[in-house]
Amino acid sequence: MSNTTAPKRFPMAWFYLALLVAYPLLVYPENALFRLTEISIGMQLTYIFIYAILALGLNVVVGYTGLLHLGIAAFFGIGAYITGILTVPAYPFQVGFIAALVLSTAGAALLGVLLGAPTLRLRGDYLAIVTLGFGEVTRFTLRNLEEITAGTRGLNPVPPPQLPGVLATPLSWLGIQPDWSLDYRLFYYLALGLLVLVVVLLTNLERSRLGRAWVAIREDELAATCMGINAARVKLSAFALGCGLAGMAGCLYATTLTSTAGPDAFDFNRSIIMLCCIILGGLGSLRGTLLGVVLLIGFDNVAAPVLDGLIQGANINPNGNPLLTFSNWKLLIFGVALIVMMRFRPEGLLPSRVVEEELVGYAPQPRGKLLRAR
Amino acid sequence: MPPLLAVEDFYAGYGPIEVLKGISIEVQPGEIVALIGSNGAGKTSTLMGISGCLRPSRGRVLWQGREIQGLPAHEIVCRGICHAPEGRKIFPRLTVLENLQMGAFSRRDTKQIERDLQRSFELFPVLAQRRGQAGGTLSGGEQQMLAVARALMGRPTLLLLDEPSLGLAPLIVVKIFEVVRQLNREGMAVLLVEQAARMALKLAHRGYVMEIGRITMTDRAEALLTDKRVQDAYLGE
Repeated sequence: MSNTTAPKRFPMAWFYLALLVAYPLLVYPENALFRLTEISIGMQLTYIFIYAILALGLNVVVGYTGLLHLGIAAFFGIGAYITGILTVPAYPFQVGFIAALVLSTAGAALLGVLLGAPTLRLRGDYLAIVTLGFGEVTRFTLRNLEEITAGTRGLNPVPPPQLPGVLATPLSWLGIQPDWSLDYRLFYYLALGLLVLVVVLLTNLERSRLGRAWVAIREDELAATCMGINAARVKLSAFALGCGLAGMAGCLYATTLTSTAGPDAFDFNRSIIMLCCIILGGLGSLRGTLLGVVLLIGFDNVAAPVLDGLIQGANINPNGNPLLTFSNWKLLIFGVALIVMMRFRPEGLLPSRVVEEELVGYAPQPRGKLLRAR
Repeated sequence: MPPLLAVEDFYAGYGPIEVLKGISIEVQPGEIVALIGSNGAGKTSTLMGISGCLRPSRGRVLWQGREIQGLPAHEIVCRGICHAPEGRKIFPRLTVLENLQMGAFSRRDTKQIERDLQRSFELFPVLAQRRGQAGGTLSGGEQQMLAVARALMGRPTLLLLDEPSLGLAPLIVVKIFEVVRQLNREGMAVLLVEQAARMALKLAHRGYVMEIGRITMTDRAEALLTDKRVQDAYLGE
């Protein structure tokens, strides 16, 4: 078993990370892009980081362990609402960001375990239906428990994290104002930092005993049991980690948005889009998941509004014909893209490298042949 | 001395259907025992019951004198009973090497695992050639070898081998049986379920004949091979 760490496995990872760290500091590209598109790309990147954490959590459950989870958005929402309850002025807790982050993650993980414990013996479609149902139940609960969740209005304002005093001087050198509402870059680095932590954690888990047990269960549960794997516990751990990461993403989302958003932000569509992200990128592949999020969330949050703006700006559509609004075509393009993917590259854009890596390490084989055969 | 494994009056089934109706089997240390019988007799269920994949409704399984029935499967593996399930059940998208490493999942003695890996490659040289290849891309015979090698990676005291000849060329079956015999000489006990009754009985020391959930005959393997009833029913003579 090799213990390859992140930089060695992703030689390009350092390059992309440096790019992402540098982008907001250079100021000019952000301003230029904003003039061009009227969208703060930096802010959208922050949301992409948050959704990446959510997708990585889902990837643990669906990609590694092979449990079809259709309600991940519920755990995203649970994280957001735990953060809301723990931090908004309307409640007496106001525990601060770090505590809220920890408790949101732990709370969502705990709920994941509570949902998983009785249902994980279900397989395939049945588990999918249970998680789908749980997602909808959660959404309606959030909406109807108005005394606690403020119904469709959501909880706000979620206060920004407290900056440690020692950071004030280095931040001023970098030209970042220490005010969260004035400078998107604080959220940007917070989300990026947490995403990097999650990626490092998962890269190591992938190669651990637990990571191997997840994959073995996905491949064949009976055989995995015969190898001495405690299937129930291993599946539950995947569920806990996946849901916990979703809760963490939810906490970041609520903090960045300064509101929990309404319950409808955590609906079935959100779950499906996250699932599409990991399928597009390659189930069970870290790099694939990240690419999938960039492509799909980027398309949704950046490309679609930009194209809408262009169409409006070009004055093609003075009467507001819905067929001439790009956003209305979004889901159609989504669907067609997925169908095309399934036909021509069912393993995803960047499939898991495990197989390929072993090939390079032991016996060189033509790569394309193997991927076809899978 | 108690037998290595003693199954006593074992009942089990799937939902309302009772498949095993009070079977009793013994395996002595260092013995190869064949379990033969026609389709649906309950041979596979017997192995599943021993390895903990199927819960008994009644009866006992004694392992070196201690009751293990009802224990979860992963704990039974730790005691030295490895199950190579029917239909190979290799991990198709893991490489050959990873499949073998999964076989040693219950062990933590890294150095010995590494030596056992080399040993598997010596026993089945074709696996060494294919070590980096995904398990699902192997041929049927190679997959069966991988399944056996993977079970051996658990360093079993008792190997439960389910239908290793299923759908394989006779030459490959001979190869797999050779390896089983070799490991048996080194002390590993084997409980072998097989439809190819003649080959199984030639390999085994003792045999049991199973019919619709019950053991109907047991004897030394040579005696079963020459028994008129066994010949008529299972050896096709």
